[in-house]
Amino acid sequence: MIVGMKDTVKLIGILVIAGCAVFVWTLFLNYNIDLAAMKDEITTQAGMAMYQAQVSTGKVVAAVSGGCLVLTSVVMLLFYIKNYIDTHSKELGILKALGYSGLKIAKHFWVFGLSVFVGCVLGYVSAFCYLPSFYELQNAEHLFPEIKVQFHLFLAFLLIGIPAIGFSVLAVLYAFLRLRHPVLDLLKEKREYRTKVPRRETKDKPFLKDLAGSTIRERKTLVFFVAFSAFCFSAMVQMSMSMKDLSSKTMAVMVITIGLVLAFTTLFLSLSSVVKGNTKTIAMMRVFGYKYSDCSRAVLGGYRLFSYIGFVIGTVYQYALLKIMVTIVFADVGSVPEYNFDFKMCAVTFVLFILTYEIVMYGYSQRIKRLSIKSVMLE
Amino acid sequence: MIAISDIVKSYGNAGNKNQVLKGISLQITDGDFVVILGASGSGKSTFLNVISGLERPDSGSVVYGTNDITKLSDEKLTQFRKDNIGFIFQQYYLLPNMTVEKNVRMGADLAGNREYREMINAVGLENKKGKYPSELSGGEQQRASVARALAKKPKVLFLDEPTGALDEQTGRQVLDYICRLHKEYGFTIVMVTHNQNIAEMANTVVKMNSGKISEVSANEKQKTAYEIGW
Repeated sequence: MIVGMKDTVKLIGILVIAGCAVFVWTLFLNYNIDLAAMKDEITTQAGMAMYQAQVSTGKVVAAVSGGCLVLTSVVMLLFYIKNYIDTHSKELGILKALGYSGLKIAKHFWVFGLSVFVGCVLGYVSAFCYLPSFYELQNAEHLFPEIKVQFHLFLAFLLIGIPAIGFSVLAVLYAFLRLRHPVLDLLKEKREYRTKVPRRETKDKPFLKDLAGSTIRERKTLVFFVAFSAFCFSAMVQMSMSMKDLSSKTMAVMVITIGLVLAFTTLFLSLSSVVKGNTKTIAMMRVFGYKYSDCSRAVLGGYRLFSYIGFVIGTVYQYALLKIMVTIVFADVGSVPEYNFDFKMCAVTFVLFILTYEIVMYGYSQRIKRLSIKSVMLE
Repeated sequence: MIAISDIVKSYGNAGNKNQVLKGISLQITDGDFVVILGASGSGKSTFLNVISGLERPDSGSVVYGTNDITKLSDEKLTQFRKDNIGFIFQQYYLLPNMTVEKNVRMGADLAGNREYREMINAVGLENKKGKYPSELSGGEQQRASVARALAKKPKVLFLDEPTGALDEQTGRQVLDYICRLHKEYGFTIVMVTHNQNIAEMANTVVKMNSGKISEVSANEKQKTAYEIGW
């Protein structure tokens, strides 16, 4: 087997993100479908306004949050496949040299779609378990006739079957494209580094600064994930605090849980990839006499700025989303409280974020410290 | 002077212990060119790793001047390598995402050497300094790793089968560069190889067999890289 089950275990990040996306979608889409079936029974003007607001909320949340999570899952899947092909380049090269076609090898990459399938099933089932409480919360407002949870087979297929099939096809196609390299390049594990003619004379930077820059440039996808992790932390924590007043405590807990799970999963996965991808560089630096702290700073330090950028984008995103919800979507609903930017909450979240980020970074610098020089050189 | 006394090194656990170095003692004089010869599995690479401070022995001492490196903490050992040691490996281990110039700078920055470009020129890579390792031939990569090791101005240069992955012509060329730089800068060389011919270039030849030194001899007349057989 070219891609084993063991390899798909590493796709836990996609599993978590897909699970969260399907959880959010199931919640809002299932509710919207059940609500739409009741539309004719809504008789009051306030009820109709609330109905329109609920439908719009569902659409906005499903499109913005779900869409964002799906996009992240796609980027993560492509990153994993590229990483897998890079690290197994020699074995794949041998297969190609033996006469297996690129397509034949790529077909085995369908198993990467399994993680999406498992994530979607978990997301769907957990959302379905939560739906009765979610409906109860909505029914308590007494704005609509009582809505009961209904199972919609097509929705289950749409949220589980389609993503699983789609991601499997995407995995095969992407693997096929990546495997088009010449056999010798795969066998020699040749990476695509080519000399570029600089437009102007580049500054004579110290080695450690150069290394930090090149680590970032080489793994741009990881920059996205680190920023995304900070984005999730910032947006979801701040949003959940505002939701406590705007919506309900249950919604607030749900939002913060999803946010933190996403933030930590992506941060851990991206930093693990950074350390793993730079193991040889770190080992060689240690051989030459660079200190652990120099290695950590050069390899991990460059991501700090991007995490701050992610935090700022997350703050703006949650503010814009809630402002739109309150002023546009719920404009006709009388009982919605006013929403303003909470500077104090933003500051508290930022401090929490810095603390968490630095603790995680410290953990990874300890991991760098434990790398054995000899084991790397014996590879 | 490097004084190595009674080095023992084993791998594996109590039930399945493999003693690789069985009480080795040796003295290396400053500026010497020592070749450690031995068949595969004789323990020569482990010996090199131990005396260069990459690995710790189970017992014994490795004293540089008055400094026993087997007693140093990890931090101090790192500092010691930084100040004294240069390495050249069979597999080059150049950083793939850095150009030749930046790889050499990796060594140079540790010694605060701002004249590192001289070293690139000295190994004949002035026209390739902007190239990545994947764009170089094996010989050019090894020359880049020679420049990287020497740019940090080491007092002792350790080489582990430096010509093992090279063809004869390129191997001779790399050895020639190393010898010329040895004469110019006067550092100590400790080279591990299984190629008996290369031993003719050294002052001192140490033969190893099954984790022990079987013979130490001195060469009265050293040959150049182009005079030895291959």
